Amino acid sequence: MIFVTAGNHFQGFERLLKEVDEIAPRIPHEIVIQKGYSKYVPHNTKYFDFVPLKAAMEYIQKSDLVVSHAGMGTIILCKEYGIPIIIFPRREKFKEHVNDHQMEIAKAIEERKDDHIYIVYEEDQLEVKIAEVLTRREKPVPGTNVRRVNLIITIKTFIEDHN
Amino acid sequence: MKKSKKIGLICSHGGHFTQLLEVREAFENCPTFLLTYKEVSTSNQENTYYIASIGRNPVAFFFGIIKIFFILLKERPTILFSTGSEIAIPLFYFGKLIFGAKLIYLESCAQIFRPSMTGKWVYPITDLFLVQWEPLLKKYGPKVKYVGGLI
Repeated sequence: MIFVTAGNHFQGFERLLKEVDEIAPRIPHEIVIQKGYSKYVPHNTKYFDFVPLKAAMEYIQKSDLVVSHAGMGTIILCKEYGIPIIIFPRREKFKEHVNDHQMEIAKAIEERKDDHIYIVYEEDQLEVKIAEVLTRREKPVPGTNVRRVNLIITIKTFIEDHN
Repeated sequence: MKKSKKIGLICSHGGHFTQLLEVREAFENCPTFLLTYKEVSTSNQENTYYIASIGRNPVAFFFGIIKIFFILLKERPTILFSTGSEIAIPLFYFGKLIFGAKLIYLESCAQIFRPSMTGKWVYPITDLFLVQWEPLLKKYGPKVKYVGGLI
């Protein structure tokens, strides 16, 4: 299954939905889209507007691949569960976001060269990238993120010191 | 006598909500309550107060902060923790100035080079202020800390 999410942002992300809907018949995987506030109605995929976070987490865990706007929640969860993700940032110029910080996120993540996190900047590149990721043999390993553990310890220590 | 511990966890929906759940382990030994926006994605959480988004218009903001005040009055948290966004601003100011709570703010990992609007508002009164990307260290004052991130 491929889970596609446009996140919770109040503006739509029509470019992502249209492109995925168009290439869906050529992809031999079931596609489920969380379309958020996007207006476009897909014809070739399953879709819904929103689900509770728990349900979205289950979709992500069951996926072979996630295709997402540059939303941090989804990126974090894919990394944690060991699911490959293609990030397609929302752009201000298309009125998909209020600024271009999703481009900043995409570039910063690209620089870190995380294996199994892929960035696509143009919608016409999505099909090739999806096909490439789905044929890749080696899968990401879910793992403990040391940086997350450090954060938790720091917060915990502060709480213990202040009560 | 020592005041008993209670931690208020505050966030809006979307990535802020996911990030809060990601660090929830840090609060596992304390009584907590959650305060977030009423959205499909945040539904079905235990021990949670839901309010309408206060970021939409001045009327929603006005009624939202009254509700927030009464929630604080009822819960009397000793510590407030937030991952943003704007919902943290009234909570942190009421929490600190009226209820004397200690404040912990975790800047979203979506902020890499520039501080968030919420971060700039709450930085002056926050006791533990954490960012998730090193370049942001230079953009806040001396008490900002980087110890790691969720990504």
